[in-house]
Amino acid sequence: MKPAQFSVTSKLVGDAAIIYPKGYLNNLSGESLVNECGIYIGRGITKIVVNFSETDLINSIGISLLLQIMEDLRNIRGTICCTNMSKFLRDTFEMLGLLQHMVVFPVESDAIAYLKAQTT
Amino acid sequence: MNTELKKALYNLTALADLGQEITSESAFHKKMQAAFYVITGTFLASRGAILSYDRTAKKLETLTSKGFIPADLEQLHPEELAALEKNEPCLVKDVPFLAVVGAEVLVPLWVRDQFIGALLLSGKLTADPYTPEDLELLNIIATQIAITLNHHSLFVDLSDKLEENQRLYEEMRRIYHGTLQAFAAAIDAKDAYTQNHSHRVAKYSAAIARELGWNEHDIEGIYVAGYLHDVGKLAISNELLNKVTPFTPEELAEIRKHSTLSHHIATKINFPWKNVEDMVWHHHERLDGKGYPDALARDALSDGVRIITLADSFDAMTSKRPYREKMDVQTALAELKNCLDSQFDQKIMLVLCRVLDKEIKGELPEPEILPNLDKNSDLTVISALLEGIIEELSATQSAA
Repeated sequence: MKPAQFSVTSKLVGDAAIIYPKGYLNNLSGESLVNECGIYIGRGITKIVVNFSETDLINSIGISLLLQIMEDLRNIRGTICCTNMSKFLRDTFEMLGLLQHMVVFPVESDAIAYLKAQTT
Repeated sequence: MNTELKKALYNLTALADLGQEITSESAFHKKMQAAFYVITGTFLASRGAILSYDRTAKKLETLTSKGFIPADLEQLHPEELAALEKNEPCLVKDVPFLAVVGAEVLVPLWVRDQFIGALLLSGKLTADPYTPEDLELLNIIATQIAITLNHHSLFVDLSDKLEENQRLYEEMRRIYHGTLQAFAAAIDAKDAYTQNHSHRVAKYSAAIARELGWNEHDIEGIYVAGYLHDVGKLAISNELLNKVTPFTPEELAEIRKHSTLSHHIATKINFPWKNVEDMVWHHHERLDGKGYPDALARDALSDGVRIITLADSFDAMTSKRPYREKMDVQTALAELKNCLDSQFDQKIMLVLCRVLDKEIKGELPEPEILPNLDKNSDLTVISALLEGIIEELSATQSAA
């Protein structure tokens, strides 16, 4: 079965951008995730939460795109939080050694609470 | 599953992803961008570039890059890269002339003995060093990328050559047609009364063939035959061609030689179109077999011959001759109609009438016949006449 086209939605909660990727993060359509984050970073947002509840799978292309977001946030001393990750995603990030470069939470609300506490 | 095994599986999947991307039907730059993401995602490199070697300009071009400053990439000299081991990754710190700010690994890309370009990667986001296994994997990936770049380069070369060949072909075609027109002008210049006759017969014949649904190649062929149908007149004396008084039987026999002479001349040319020689040879044959030079009849006459015959006669009738004034279009059409079945083909006559009617009604984008007819013609009258002939011939054709 052909996977659904990848898409991204987002919202601003306080001073953090919450990003919702949807679909398999495995081709050039995943660039929209980088673009969406780039828009918030361009507006001065330094805290980004990526909620992976609707993205179960990722490949090397998706990892590359995620690296780009991590690099962009690192350059502005920002924070990336990843939430609602499937076991596959979490295992992949762990195996690649990426978990040390992001803050992982089981659910989105935990990440928002964490980032809010950072502000205060 | 231990981490090493997981990593090996991830790398295998990445190779499969790379294969899928470089064999996809995407446009070349999208393909390379996706391949680039596969590579940076596999090695966790936050910066990287794929450079292609332009053999003509002898310089490296950046196909895709992330994080590097373009001016830094321009510092790389293709000759220096080409001196390195083929497709073997080398650590930039070990080779001082490769120093590109932020680059940690460079792979010169080769296919057989051809230097294709280079792949550059920064250090990993995790700050881990490149392992020997990483470099081995990079060697495999580099080979795949090199082959893809080489294929694209060959494709571009072929496209350029194809474009150049098409341009040369068009140029030759123009020269060819120019030569034919010069021939036709030479034929028509021999007879003050037949100025542009060959040109008009070519146009009329092509217009009829187009209406009949011929393909463009065959239309061009009959156009050429129209131009050359009277080329044999070059061998007939000017005095005879321009004679005002009726021909003697000997003179008539002499002038009738022109279609065979046209054929002799045409056979010397290797035409890319079929039947040109036949069309010029038999343009004075008749359906009833009373024409010349071979008294061919009916089935022995091709559609092309029948078209040229009708176009030739129609133009001859509507043009001034040394021995008579030109006929008006209505009279010429009536004359042609009277000679149907004995001299001219009904189907071709029907098509001629349809084309002319469409041209009068402005239904054809580029009229070929109407602009050559008498400017004082009453088009309403001609159109009514044409409609009558079309109706009558259509009924006859349907009944047949």
